[in-house]
Amino acid sequence: MAIRQGLLALLSQGPRYGYQLRAEFEASTGATWPLNIGQVYTTLSRMERDGLVAPGEQDDQGRVVYTITEAGRAEMERWFGTPVAQSDRPRDELVIKLAMAVTAAADVRPVIQAQRVATMRTLQELTRAKRASVAGPAQRLVLDSMIFQAEAEQRWLDHCEAVLTASPQTQERQT
Amino acid sequence: MSFDPVVRLAGVSRVHGDGPQAVAALREVSLDVAAGELVAVMGPSGSGKSTLLNLAGGLDRPTSGEVVVEGRPLSGLSAGDLAGLRRRHVGYVFQDLNLIPSLTAAENVMLPRELDGVRMGQARREAMAALEEVGLAEVAGRFPEEISGGQRQRVAIARALVGERRLILADEPTGALDTPTGDDVLQLLRARCDAGAAALLVTHEPRYAGWADRVVFLRDGAIADSTLPLESAR
Ligand SMILES: Nc1ncnc2c1ncn2[C@@H]1O[C@H](COP(=O)(O)OP(=O)(O)O)[C@@H](O)[C@H]1O
Ligand SMILES: [Mg+2]
Repeated sequence: MAIRQGLLALLSQGPRYGYQLRAEFEASTGATWPLNIGQVYTTLSRMERDGLVAPGEQDDQGRVVYTITEAGRAEMERWFGTPVAQSDRPRDELVIKLAMAVTAAADVRPVIQAQRVATMRTLQELTRAKRASVAGPAQRLVLDSMIFQAEAEQRWLDHCEAVLTASPQTQERQT
Repeated sequence: MSFDPVVRLAGVSRVHGDGPQAVAALREVSLDVAAGELVAVMGPSGSGKSTLLNLAGGLDRPTSGEVVVEGRPLSGLSAGDLAGLRRRHVGYVFQDLNLIPSLTAAENVMLPRELDGVRMGQARREAMAALEEVGLAEVAGRFPEEISGGQRQRVAIARALVGERRLILADEPTGALDTPTGDDVLQLLRARCDAGAAALLVTHEPRYAGWADRVVFLRDGAIADSTLPLESAR
């Protein structure tokens, strides 16, 4: 989970309050990863326990400024220096659904077609969001990533359809 | 703004050839494109995308069904009236750009206006404005072979946009362009639609279809699916 490393990256820019971290996290990643303030404070207190951040004095409104420690900086650098492993990513439900549909000899074509329309719709919305966006480069790159993913999914769906149409096994089933 | 579509296809079919060799390129397709709307058409090769575009622009006639452009049913028009309507209202961008090699960029863009009977001076001013719109004012005097592929593509688009054409038909206009140049092309089409034109865009690139208000999927000559129009929060 990258929340703690993300918070460390923000803190590497200077000390911050919890509510500031939440706002900056969302400003960087767009709407992709909404954090609630509870998650931020839970993560901060674990990071404090692990010596990655140090809290300052409470101010008169009861707010605490957090500062990154040397260990915290090292952890952030380790994170940036390590590629994300494929196995750390969540499984893609669509891939599983299509594989299961094929295995169960269900009619896969409507599954593909419904998904194609839904994914295209997502792509239209993302493209519109990007056109309207006045956000900084971090958020723009997040949007680009989502656009590339939707695009790849669309191509993969076309590919699935072509493979299944060509495959004698699926043709037999349909006739 | 009127709510009539700029182009309407009502139950349009197109059969090529006859007898056992007959090919149904399009089957009972109904589609409206309103002013301000960019509609993308996707589908496998041979699914009827180019046929749909040619029928929508009056370059081809349906076997059955009706095509209505700006409120005028095309079936009732003489060949001459149809040609006039095409020139005044419809801009085409084809996959092979059809630029005339012996004419400069500006002259290529002027040509449809001169065919409209617009005077040379005005045709030139309009052509320069259209070239400016696609960011090519500085190459106006060059011949097609003296400019890059991406620039040629944009000249072809300027030619389709010149003179307030309200219906833009683009068949794979991003052709072999790289992604940033392809995005520029979509930017131009989008801007024209936002300014009130209607456009049909054939593309096999999902990323370009993503610019559309609505995406129509063709399969074996019929509309298989279509995304709902995005609410016009443009
Ligand atoms: N002039 C023609 N004569 C005969 N068949 C044609 C002609 N034009 C198109 N077709 C056929 O009609 C179908 C649709 O073609 P087209 O509209 O060019 O598809 P797409 O643009 O989606 O690749 C194809 O089967 C094609 O072979
Ligand atoms: Mg074609």
